[in-house]
Amino acid sequence: MDTALKATGINKVFHDAVNLQVLKNVSLDVKTGEFVSIVGKSGCGKSTLLYVLSTMDTDYEGQLEIGGTLVTGKPLNDLARIRNASIGFVFQFHYLLPDFSCLKNVMIPGLRLGKLPYKEIEAKAYEKLKMFGVEDQALKKANKLSGGQQQRVAIARALINDPTIIMGDEPTGNLDSKNTGIVFDLFQKLTKELGQTIIAVTHDEDFAKRSDRTIEMADGEIKSHGR
Amino acid sequence: MKISVNTEIAITYLSARKKQTMVAALGVMFGISMFIFMQSLMKGTNDYFEKMSFNTTPHIRLFSENKVADNHMLNSFLADPSIKILTNPKQLEQSQGLTNPYGIIEQIRKNPEVANVTPQVSANVIYTSGSVQITGSVSGVSIDEENKMFDVQGNMVIGNLHDLNRVNNGILIGKGIADKLSLHMGDNITVRSGTGSPMIMRVIGIYATTVKQIDDSRSYANIVQAQNLLGKDRSYVTDIKINVKNYNNAPKVARDIEVISGYKAEDWVQANEQLKAAFKIRAVILNSVIGVILLVAGFGIYNILNMTIYEKIKEIAILKATGFSGSAVTSIFLQQAIYIGLMGGIIGILLGFLITFGVAHIYIGAGNLKYLPMSFYIPHYIEALMFGLVTTVAAGYFPARKASRVDPVTIIRG
Repeated sequence: MDTALKATGINKVFHDAVNLQVLKNVSLDVKTGEFVSIVGKSGCGKSTLLYVLSTMDTDYEGQLEIGGTLVTGKPLNDLARIRNASIGFVFQFHYLLPDFSCLKNVMIPGLRLGKLPYKEIEAKAYEKLKMFGVEDQALKKANKLSGGQQQRVAIARALINDPTIIMGDEPTGNLDSKNTGIVFDLFQKLTKELGQTIIAVTHDEDFAKRSDRTIEMADGEIKSHGR
Repeated sequence: MKISVNTEIAITYLSARKKQTMVAALGVMFGISMFIFMQSLMKGTNDYFEKMSFNTTPHIRLFSENKVADNHMLNSFLADPSIKILTNPKQLEQSQGLTNPYGIIEQIRKNPEVANVTPQVSANVIYTSGSVQITGSVSGVSIDEENKMFDVQGNMVIGNLHDLNRVNNGILIGKGIADKLSLHMGDNITVRSGTGSPMIMRVIGIYATTVKQIDDSRSYANIVQAQNLLGKDRSYVTDIKINVKNYNNAPKVARDIEVISGYKAEDWVQANEQLKAAFKIRAVILNSVIGVILLVAGFGIYNILNMTIYEKIKEIAILKATGFSGSAVTSIFLQQAIYIGLMGGIIGILLGFLITFGVAHIYIGAGNLKYLPMSFYIPHYIEALMFGLVTTVAAGYFPARKASRVDPVTIIRG
């Protein structure tokens, strides 16, 4: 299998009052189609690692490759394009744009990418919303939905550009067990059937156990790669 | 129509906050409408004063000017290479009359820019009626030509100006003279110049311009009467007055005429230097007021966009996380500023026109000036829109740049 993402010797220091090294020489690789969860205690650096992997955080030492291309040191605008085209995001708190309808929220990254005509993006967005059972909320403003519904819309948004990698920071943190189940099954389907890669930081042990592989972190280091 | 996603987001943000958008647009609107109103008033007033100055002064006046003695003649007389220096040169006495005035007039008429040419005999005089004397001047003119150039008919209070051609010893006096000497139609007045013998003239009409100074001193007489008054012959002419087709070309035509005639040709720009200075001062005052208004409007936009950015900082982070580059975010916020500017600008232009239109119909009735002079000049409206846009873009640029620098990680992680 191909390598979807590869990080080598990642070090990161917070220069906040005292220098605090949050990531210590972290190296990992994730194969295409893998469903990886990262677990660890609060403050162990797992979220920090995820943001480094996401290309959003550029203040680190070491090398990061996505889809075989080195992304470390690329200009910010290039990184934005990479995120737009090949990385989907799901955050702990849904973070939709409240002034837009759910449908628009899902469509915006697609419109940004601009590969497909408007109508096709719209159709695709409907399809994604349907996958998560929130298509009937499509035309409502995002802030009129319940937390669980919002999170499902946010996941639909992460999928709109068919990214090769989907990253989640506690993607099911705000969902009840039923919704967590739905999301989990979909994630699994995405990896198995569509070959998409999922990297999720989670506190949810059930969720972690059921994923392909669990990376355990403690004190800024990877304790176990889970294989 | 295909609109970009940046535009769509910008418009959604604006319409989600209608009140604030309106307030910002209103700021621009007032700035722009005031700009238009003030520019229109200024141009209208300037045009009015310019036009008014042409009621009393010609575009170009040709006259004989006393010269200071120079070494020109001495050089050509001695014809050797040494340099001659005149110590204590004096003004040369010259006849006030122009030599061969009608020949010069013929020459001037050949210039295609020239619309009207008329000779004039000016005489400084003392008017006497009873025991009261006042000083003034008599302009000896061909009244028909004079009327063509200065609309004397329009200034007539009483009487018929053509009587100047018919009545022997007729004189057309300013209203100020009539009041001071208590003169009425048909009264006699003694007019005495420095050189000729006193003449008794008959008032055949009274006129009033908007310039009190002129009404208080100047009167018109037939050119022949003025020559008699000065004791001069029929070829004696002191000034040639010239109107050109486009008064903005007057300085250039004046230089040409100077070359042809050899006399001093004073154009209206030189004659009305104080008018031009007043135009400039007025422009400075009005432009500073307009500048301040637009500056305030700009700060309004700056403020509102800054607040929007603080409120939307999480959304900006999300946009960046989902692949919007810094320049895309800048574009979103700069576009908001531009739409506010355009909205305010277009409404401002309409309002500016309405205010200008309304004020142009306010009766003020000062002298000849019945309504406030306003000009409807298209470039003002274009300028106003440009200024509005420049202000809003400048005001929007800094908040937009700030938005583009939002670090998504810091915001999302909290």
